[in-house]
Amino acid sequence: MNESSDVKQIVRMQNVVKTYRQGKVEVHAVNDVSLKIESGDFAVLCGPSGSGKTSILNMIGGLDVVSSGKIWVDDIDLSSLNTTQLSEVRKNRIGFVFQAYNLIPVMTAYENAEFVLSLQGASKAECNERTMKILKAVGLEGLEHRRPDEMSGGQQQRVAIARAIVTNPAIVLADEPTANVDSHTAEALLDLMQQLNQEQGITFLFSSHDQHVIDRGRRIIQIHDGKVGADEKRS
Amino acid sequence: MNLNNLAWRNIWRNKRRTLITAFSIGFGIMLSVTFTGSGDYTYTNMIDMGASMGMGHVTVEPVGYHLKPSLDKRLTATAKLQQEILALPGVSGASVRITGQAMFASARKSVGGAFIAIDPAFETPDNNLLMRSLLEGSVFSNKSGRGMVIGSKLAKKLHVKIGKKIVYTTTDVHGEIVSDIARITGIFTTGIDMVDGMLALLPIGTVQQTLSYAPDQATLIAVLIKDQRHAELMRDEIAALPEAKDVAVLTWKKSQPDLAGVIAFDKAGNYISQFLVGLLIAVGILNTMLMSVLERKREFGVMVAVGMSPGTLFRLVMAESFWLAIIGLVLGIIITAPWYYFLYNTGIDLSGTVGSDFSYGGVLVDPTFKVRLFKESIVAILGGVFMLALLAGLYPAWRAGRVVPVESLKTI
Repeated sequence: MNESSDVKQIVRMQNVVKTYRQGKVEVHAVNDVSLKIESGDFAVLCGPSGSGKTSILNMIGGLDVVSSGKIWVDDIDLSSLNTTQLSEVRKNRIGFVFQAYNLIPVMTAYENAEFVLSLQGASKAECNERTMKILKAVGLEGLEHRRPDEMSGGQQQRVAIARAIVTNPAIVLADEPTANVDSHTAEALLDLMQQLNQEQGITFLFSSHDQHVIDRGRRIIQIHDGKVGADEKRS
Repeated sequence: MNLNNLAWRNIWRNKRRTLITAFSIGFGIMLSVTFTGSGDYTYTNMIDMGASMGMGHVTVEPVGYHLKPSLDKRLTATAKLQQEILALPGVSGASVRITGQAMFASARKSVGGAFIAIDPAFETPDNNLLMRSLLEGSVFSNKSGRGMVIGSKLAKKLHVKIGKKIVYTTTDVHGEIVSDIARITGIFTTGIDMVDGMLALLPIGTVQQTLSYAPDQATLIAVLIKDQRHAELMRDEIAALPEAKDVAVLTWKKSQPDLAGVIAFDKAGNYISQFLVGLLIAVGILNTMLMSVLERKREFGVMVAVGMSPGTLFRLVMAESFWLAIIGLVLGIIITAPWYYFLYNTGIDLSGTVGSDFSYGGVLVDPTFKVRLFKESIVAILGGVFMLALLAGLYPAWRAGRVVPVESLKTI
């Protein structure tokens, strides 16, 4: 892995271990992982099911805690934060895209996209301006008033992407974002995220074993049995 | 989107469940209004009835008379005190009276009983149950005459009718046995056996002479007030009057402890019923909110994952409880209003079941089931149900605030 001193490190993982207990058996989901994600990365954590990709993503996102080791996001040590402070970090610095879209069903596309901005306390005018801009960017102009059950899977995932990037987060964590859509839609979504990465410099970290995603990644981090295998950068 | 807006939409996700819960709150309000309204109406009726039977809502009497009644204990300068009492706002009547025990004798029989000596100028059917219950004849008009009004059952025992003479014997202020004669001008029947079988009204002027009382001496002043709930307040105001020195001022609770005990007991039963109704409402709301929270675990996990704080999530679920309570209250008012209107104006006639002269706690009770709600009862019911709904939402809200996103996101 090449390191560049003038590129900001968005995520730093240092000797991170995550152990789950299944009955009396301890399972090492993540085993001594040290990793750095730089600003502007379009990185993919890939590996077979159960290799520890999602666990790594969850810990970076502050959704799960490390058993040992440390994680910094945007230079904030997550291990020193309580639940509310972790919520603040997620709200202000991290965007999430989930496999199952996970939109709020009673909200329209506009409201879902605006949701995190409103949690941040942004003014109505600012919310409106940024949300409309993002919805246009993800190709949902004209669908603002539709609820999730009135949209296709691809459209819902676009709303989820809009929700993830509307606050200009330091990093977007995308857990199997194309797993629930057809290959055509998957390509379109990846086009969109790649475009956002290239044009707006948004950092993406994916967890996926979908070849479409892996093919698009500019950095491929192989995870196997909870450990980092190869870490390859592509031009 | 603000929290209230989101909460409002959330409660309509499952319309049927929300409506069932809201209706259960509504019916709870209806039950509570029925219980409380019946209490407010019946207790007021009983207290007013009890007051008009002789002692008033507030009784002014010689110190110690209440514990050991005796005709040698008497109030003096009653006229002045009566005027001061009548000048108080909130007082609707003040009657100077002498009460005592006597032996009544007709030509055929002697019967033990009691008398209330009154000044007819200050007594009306409104403030005197015995006058209100006049069956035949009329009340004597001269306070110093020889008239007498007796209960129908007492008349029957003595085998007397209107116009017949009765000799009454009692003890005077010195403890001497004294007698006087009176002619029956009226017969009353209240429906209360004890009252109809032993009580008689006599003119106060004549009784004062018989008992060797001075013209402004009596055993009590019965004070009727406009609102029985203010009895304690009126007692204190009367006790503070300049002419009320060295007298005892009692509320109906002290002067009629049997009635007070019966009402207190009935109220306790009413509170238990209301508590059970409240419990049912609370369990219904708790069930609805808990189900709603558990169903949305994944969604809450997402909300927390994207940055909603546990505290905000707690507030969201509390806001849902708030709206559910508001809907329940509105439905409750809509359901209850026509029911209350009917019970307030018409009521349900229970005389076929309890009889037309049903007495409880020594007073007659209206056999028509009617309701009347005091303002404070309305506030207590609506406020109580609202608070109950919020309290029932606390646990589900707490559960929502404790979702672990990484676990919740795994749930389907």
